[in-house]
Amino acid sequence: MAWRRRPPRGLTAPDTWPAERACRSGSRQLDSLEEATDHEASPYRTPINRVTEAALRWISGTGRGQAVGHWLSRTIALPQLRHLTSDTIPWSPLRRPLREATVALVTTSGVHLRDDHPFELESDPTFRVIPRGAEAGELAISHRAYDRTDALRDVNLVFPLQRLRELEAEGVIGRVADWHYGFGLVLRGADLVAPGREVGRLLGRAHVDLALFVPA
Amino acid sequence: MTTVGLALVREVAVAARAPRLLFVHWPFGHALGEPGKVEQQRAVLRDMFSMARRALRPGLVVDLPYRWRRESYPPISDWTADGEAFEAALARAPEGQTSVGGSGPGRL
Repeated sequence: MAWRRRPPRGLTAPDTWPAERACRSGSRQLDSLEEATDHEASPYRTPINRVTEAALRWISGTGRGQAVGHWLSRTIALPQLRHLTSDTIPWSPLRRPLREATVALVTTSGVHLRDDHPFELESDPTFRVIPRGAEAGELAISHRAYDRTDALRDVNLVFPLQRLRELEAEGVIGRVADWHYGFGLVLRGADLVAPGREVGRLLGRAHVDLALFVPA
Repeated sequence: MTTVGLALVREVAVAARAPRLLFVHWPFGHALGEPGKVEQQRAVLRDMFSMARRALRPGLVVDLPYRWRRESYPPISDWTADGEAFEAALARAPEGQTSVGGSGPGRL
């Protein structure tokens, strides 16, 4: 069943909702979405298997675990990247000073609006749109390949929207873009090509000067 | 549109052949550092801005030297200047020839 994106509660949709397109149903996971913490300012955690959660804590929290995590990442990503990348690297220099630039975030950490459909945890190449005013308590993290404990305490670790708003207020950057983009775990890199291009098109249409990519 | 990315696995960062990447030696889920460490997070963002201004060739991967939980991050007073750590890391970045797509490299 396909679903069409809708404005989340308490947020006003733009004239044209940027990702108004069909996506796979996330209703099964939506049903299982639970609140991770009583702290209103924290994102919600989409629960994953407890054994996996413990393994991820070991990977993040120990030197040996990090070595294993890096080996896994290389083993999964490198063969795919050899096929997906080309000899020519896109290049676009910054065309205006930072204090005049519009800045947007793209994260692959599984961050999305709490009221939006969660990412499929096994692999999901769709993306979610996050408005510039979103607060931590309005967000959720749906991802099963990294330890989210600290990101739930401070979502700026994987999605520094609050930091960007502060820098806008200080005049360091010109403007925080109206819309930002979240991806979840994707096992086949080729599946990301089309949605990646769509996000690029949306960022261009929004006259974003600088896009910052933040992984998990 | 200019893009700058963070990376947590160096070999993957190099293989990704993205326009500009900053590699941080930190655990997964901590691309901007530690929870609640605002100055640390701002330092990483400043380095990303510096990368947007300073990278002169596509495919550049710069290794940021920050140690996990063993660094101090003083407040940033001048956002138009690059951080010392970034300056040193950029100077250490390997030279290399890459093909350029789109418009040529430039600097403000």
